[in-house]
Amino acid sequence: MQQTVVEHIDRIAEDVVALTLRAAAGELAPWDPGAHIDLSLPNWLTRQYSLCGDPADRNAYRVAVRYDPLSRGGSEYVHRFLRPGRALGVSLPRNHFPLVPAPRYLFLAGGIGITPLLPMLRAVAAAGLPATLLYVGPSMDRMPFAGELRRSHGDRVHLVETKRQGRPDLGALAATLEADALVYCCGPASMLAAAEAAFPAGRLHTERFQPAARTFGPDTAFEAVCARSGDTVAVPADESLLDALAHAGHPLPSGCREGVCGSCEVAVLDGAPEHRDDIGAPEGRMYACVSRALSPRLVLDL
Amino acid sequence: MTHAPTRPRRVSPKEVLARLGQPEPMIRAKVKDRIDGYFRHFIAHSPFLMMATADAAGRADCSPRGDYPGFVKVLDEHTLALPDRPGNKIADSFRNLAENDGVGLCFLVPGVREVLRVNGSGYVTDEPDVLVRMRTEAKQPELAIVVEVAEAYFHCGRALIRSRLWDPASQALAEGMPSLGEIAAAQFGVDVDPGLLEQVLEDGYRKLY
Repeated sequence: MQQTVVEHIDRIAEDVVALTLRAAAGELAPWDPGAHIDLSLPNWLTRQYSLCGDPADRNAYRVAVRYDPLSRGGSEYVHRFLRPGRALGVSLPRNHFPLVPAPRYLFLAGGIGITPLLPMLRAVAAAGLPATLLYVGPSMDRMPFAGELRRSHGDRVHLVETKRQGRPDLGALAATLEADALVYCCGPASMLAAAEAAFPAGRLHTERFQPAARTFGPDTAFEAVCARSGDTVAVPADESLLDALAHAGHPLPSGCREGVCGSCEVAVLDGAPEHRDDIGAPEGRMYACVSRALSPRLVLDL
Repeated sequence: MTHAPTRPRRVSPKEVLARLGQPEPMIRAKVKDRIDGYFRHFIAHSPFLMMATADAAGRADCSPRGDYPGFVKVLDEHTLALPDRPGNKIADSFRNLAENDGVGLCFLVPGVREVLRVNGSGYVTDEPDVLVRMRTEAKQPELAIVVEVAEAYFHCGRALIRSRLWDPASQALAEGMPSLGEIAAAQFGVDVDPGLLEQVLEDGYRKLY
């Protein structure tokens, strides 16, 4: 956990504020475009936000937070109650959405999904590589950074206001995509689904900020063997692996508890995990908050 | 109801009023008919409240509710929503609300001496847009209590000052209490090792949602 102080809270769109979080002491941990942090809010909630500032600035992080009318208390707290000067704990940056080297890029942003793509576009432009950003939102006043993007990146940036123009045709865009381009998409579920339908899976990188609506088989009980201690932990059907491990004295870090943030990642040495996360667990890893087991036993590196 | 000869003397309401006098006009003015920005701020920082309800005959009940700060949602300046988390399933409050919709709430914020009091009427809802705002640990309550606010005000801090409720040294009072297992074994009248019973009860506390 790193300690920061809220330096600025700036309204950058109708329902979006940007927070500048200054290091309380020394420098903050480095990060690459696509990374996010967990913010530990004063109301005990932990929320994940993509870093959208300058990776070269080691003294401050910048995140943008959209107000959700169905807020459970995270965005509502940031918008209504957080004040400059407040101390906030932030996690080390994690990156499930890294920029893979490619000769050219297409970035697709929906609303607040612009945040991880902003430093990506800056990095790609600074490297002199060709890139296009298609940024979709209801209207300009609800699209954070739109003006700044147009000023800095000119006609590389295409802004689409759905209220006036409707949704863009991603299929048509895919048809004209250069063969060596990679596509990065962050936005609401509807946009991710449209992108997944339009672009080949191998060239599309996505990040979602809410778990996808999916159904799984019934939860069943299994055993987790902690290889280092030799402890066997029974995971009942009505308990998560994360909770069962914590109760047995093997707590893992945790954040969102719904398979999007990745803080509870654990290495699997044997057995078949049933991945239920939205991150896409790397080979040999799983996220204990939501994922369960297909085999009766999992052996974990714990 | 018959009174034992030793029962403390009953003072009539008229006499009480005569002794205490009328409330100051300023005290009456602090009672608002809605949730203003300051009340909203308080509710957003409150992890705990006591809720009073009564049945049709006026028999009263008071129960605690607690969760992360802001667990009570302000739907608008006249309406609050309280999640129903897994508890003892006795559901006295639900039964009472069905008969008598009167609700009294006392919100506490750790470290703050004043108490927010909200009175109004309540009913049970399963509105998805309300419940989704109460999802925590990937679990959503099945029901919530909607409170339509009639009055709201800050209650002065004397009770909490006198009780030293937020003074960390007050926690030493817990050392004077018998263990949970000891109490439960005696009150349930079961012949079980209190240590074992305590373990069972503690295990039950692991599952909060």
